[in-house]
Amino acid sequence: MNKQYKIMVIDDEKIVGDMAKMTLEQDGYVVETFLNAAPALERLKEEKFDVIVTDYKMKGIDGMEVLRTVKKLYPEIVVIMITAFANLDAAIEALRSDVHDFFPKPVKIKELKASIQRALSKQK
Amino acid sequence: MQLQLKIWHKMIIGIAIPSLIVLVGSIFTYEYLNDVKDRQEFVEIADDIKEDVLEIRRNEKNFFLYRNAEHRDNVYNAIFILKNTISSISQEIIEDIGQEDFSVLNESVQTYTDYIDELYESYREETKVTERVREEGRKLEDSVAKGRRAGGLTTSFVLNLRRLEKNYMFFRDKRSFLELHTALSELGDTAPGCTECISYKKAIGDLISAYSKSASVEKKLQVTGNRLEKIALKIARRERQKIKSFITVTNRFLLAAVALLCLLGPFFVYRTAKYIVTPINRLSEITKRIAAGDLNVRAPLKERDETYSLALSFNTMLDHLRERENQLIEKEKELYQSKKLASIGILTSGVAHELTNPLNNISMIAQTYTELYDKLSREDRLAFMNNVEKEAERIRDIVRDLLDFSKPKEKSFREADINTVVEKSLKLVQNMLDISNIETSVTLGSGIGRVFIDEHQIQQVLVNLITNAIQAMPGGGRLYIETGLSSDGEFVEIAIRDTGKGIPPEFLPHIFDPFFSTKGVEGTGLGMSVSYGIIKTHKGNIKVQSKVGEGSTFTVELPVYRGDAA
Repeated sequence: MNKQYKIMVIDDEKIVGDMAKMTLEQDGYVVETFLNAAPALERLKEEKFDVIVTDYKMKGIDGMEVLRTVKKLYPEIVVIMITAFANLDAAIEALRSDVHDFFPKPVKIKELKASIQRALSKQK
Repeated sequence: MQLQLKIWHKMIIGIAIPSLIVLVGSIFTYEYLNDVKDRQEFVEIADDIKEDVLEIRRNEKNFFLYRNAEHRDNVYNAIFILKNTISSISQEIIEDIGQEDFSVLNESVQTYTDYIDELYESYREETKVTERVREEGRKLEDSVAKGRRAGGLTTSFVLNLRRLEKNYMFFRDKRSFLELHTALSELGDTAPGCTECISYKKAIGDLISAYSKSASVEKKLQVTGNRLEKIALKIARRERQKIKSFITVTNRFLLAAVALLCLLGPFFVYRTAKYIVTPINRLSEITKRIAAGDLNVRAPLKERDETYSLALSFNTMLDHLRERENQLIEKEKELYQSKKLASIGILTSGVAHELTNPLNNISMIAQTYTELYDKLSREDRLAFMNNVEKEAERIRDIVRDLLDFSKPKEKSFREADINTVVEKSLKLVQNMLDISNIETSVTLGSGIGRVFIDEHQIQQVLVNLITNAIQAMPGGGRLYIETGLSSDGEFVEIAIRDTGKGIPPEFLPHIFDPFFSTKGVEGTGLGMSVSYGIIKTHKGNIKVQSKVGEGSTFTVELPVYRGDAA
């Protein structure tokens, strides 16, 4: 692991961010967490992130909007979406907008890690 | 049970008694008038008798004057007329006149007739005696003229005697009698032994006695005549008196009957009206109470009259009504519960989603805990477990809210703050709103007073209205919830406005009808009518305004609680 990848986690559930950060940092990633999307998008202007893990349903700017904005401005960033409801329509819509992966809650952290790894290796 | 008069009977009595008074009065008046008519007849007869008697008396005077058969017959005729009148009198009138007076009248007539006969006989005797006196007088004159009895007798003396004789015959009074008597005494003194003189004197003596007899009979006749006249006048007067008092009595009786009618008539009419109206009023009072919603009242079964069966039917109807009402309440409960179940169905999806977040949190904590177990400090581990506990509490709260909402509850009214109720309801549907991409804008009025409500039911209404709003905005939108006071300050208002498709105007009047739905297969149609029923039991109102394409506003009004528990 010669390069430190940067991962951004956006979820209005603080625990999601906290747990993701703890486990992902174990694997050597740099992780920043946000409780809502607006400051997260602001942060992107300052710093380049490799992966964004975002919740689908959030107050204010939601996951779909984050996906669209990121794909428009920074198409190279991998976006993984997690959602509390297994909504097929939402999944299809996200896939159309080039989402890398789509996880329903409760999230299996191992699967999430695998998905991130897969994305990053593909990117190389 | 005592048997009481029926209204019909009471009416008959009420009408019959005054009518009876009028009838009795009329009969008596009729009888009295008939009597008065009879009396009139009596008076006429009495007057006839009086007239007849006066006619007799007139003829009697003529008879006294002329003393002949012709005038006697006139008297007879008059008596005959009187007798005819008397014989035409009915037994009834005789009784009325009085048997005694009638007998006196009859006797008097008879006596009078007898005296007339006697008087006539006396007059005839007088005539004979008068002839004899004249005969003897002439003989005396002749003998004096021839000088046979010269004595002391002179022609002039005899002529004077004859003049006195004629005077006496004419005047028949005491003076002429005394003059004649003196002259006759002189005659006896001057010519004693004169046979002509003796015969003349004797004839004069007979004349005097005839005259005195006539006079005495005349006297008796006059007395009888007077008595007859008196009795006739008495009868006539008495009949007049009687008719007068009869009319007075009749007048008084009529007056009394009218007075009685005036007094008793209104009384009986009033009593009758009261008898009829009282039970009807009682029923009317009860209908008012029923109209006010009191189904526990019962018509009193006081009187066994026409209203008795009415009251009985009334009570049966009330029993049915109450039974129906109970059924209705039961149905309403079922309906309410079924609607709630439908709401729960909609809510459940929201709740299920809501549960996912804490579940995910627990899951992620557990995964991290396992993975990083060795690297975690003691504090970290405790913090992890604390978080697990918190998330479990979150789950418990969500489940409790749902259970709380779905549990059937007895109605329980208590004082509440409407804003709290709105917030609680909103919390129940918040997740659904989130899922449906609906922004909520809540404006809660401050100091709007409190309400006296069944919180659970009102929550049910609000959840129902919000759920409808959500369903009206399938593509997302805004939901405005506002609380405030009505303009008159009597009601607390909760307005729920959506930016949905709106309700077509032709549907608006039916929006609160049971089973009316604009949502096709999605809605059961019961929600609105149940909501309406709940708000009505709270003495509130629910109103709707809608414009197709712009959205709908449902406004719930609940009376402000002023401490007077309803």
